Amino acid sequence: MQEATFLILTALADGSQHGYGIIAQVADISGGRVRLRAGTLYAALDRLRAQKLIGVDREEIVDGRLRRYYRLTPAGTRLLAAEAARMHADAVAALTRLNLAGGEA
Amino acid sequence: MSDSPRLERDYRRLVALFPRAFRRESDEEILAVLMATAREGQRRAGFAESADLIKGALRVHRGPPLPRTLLIAVRLTYAGAATELAVVIILLVTLASLTSATIRAYPEFSLAEWHAVLFAHLPAVEVGAPVLLGLWVWLACANARGHRTARVAFRLVYVIIILGIAAEADAGIPVYGEGGLIATGVLLFIQLAANALIFYPSKDPLPYRPHRRLDAAQP
Repeated sequence: MQEATFLILTALADGSQHGYGIIAQVADISGGRVRLRAGTLYAALDRLRAQKLIGVDREEIVDGRLRRYYRLTPAGTRLLAAEAARMHADAVAALTRLNLAGGEA
Repeated sequence: MSDSPRLERDYRRLVALFPRAFRRESDEEILAVLMATAREGQRRAGFAESADLIKGALRVHRGPPLPRTLLIAVRLTYAGAATELAVVIILLVTLASLTSATIRAYPEFSLAEWHAVLFAHLPAVEVGAPVLLGLWVWLACANARGHRTARVAFRLVYVIIILGIAAEADAGIPVYGEGGLIATGVLLFIQLAANALIFYPSKDPLPYRPHRRLDAAQP
């Protein structure tokens, strides 16, 4: 899974978000390292909706402009959880080996 | 955030690159995000954000990833189209020799029979081959886009393609010998394999075009 996809799914993990909200959340989660642009975001949202990993939660008009909120689907939640567990296991393995290497040096 | 009308015009031009069905549903939403993320006082779309929108539009045009079996079927169908294109080119280049070879192949033919072959059989192949080429390309494109109707169409068109290949073989094998036999075999194999793969049960769901219908959550 690409990092942008992982971060978008993570941004939706604790509730629905609109496009601008996802961009802000992704920047926040990544500590400002990943700044999504609109083209990348909407291509990813289109693909994630096609894969039924996210869905549209609701729509509202704010200042005359459409705001659409996206939410994780159960399949999206399962995939994110599995990916996070995999990344966590990899990170733990890497850190354990680094500590071992440090101890031997 | 910017409220420059000129900037919004720039963004609208770039958003126009996305597929029409996608724009119908999402263009105002993307514009809202673009204007919200623009710098204060920004009046023109920057190079990086323009490039990002073009890249995003291309990705949406390309569509969602296909299940593996369907992807192989689509590639096979393109291979079928390429083979059919080769057949069309060979037919056009060797049209004169094909005609004379047909005449030589049937020396016992009367003038009427000879005419029947030339004016009924050969034109059927000459016209049929480009039609088959068109069908191959259409099936590959439609299936690559993940259209469910394309899968049904594949089964319906399958019979037409098999008949077309048989007609080509009937005319081509006596004239082209082994080459005609190989081309027929390749086309039949590709067609059968692509058909089997398209209807092969896959655990991956066939992707759908999300902007065709809203999947808003039901309360």
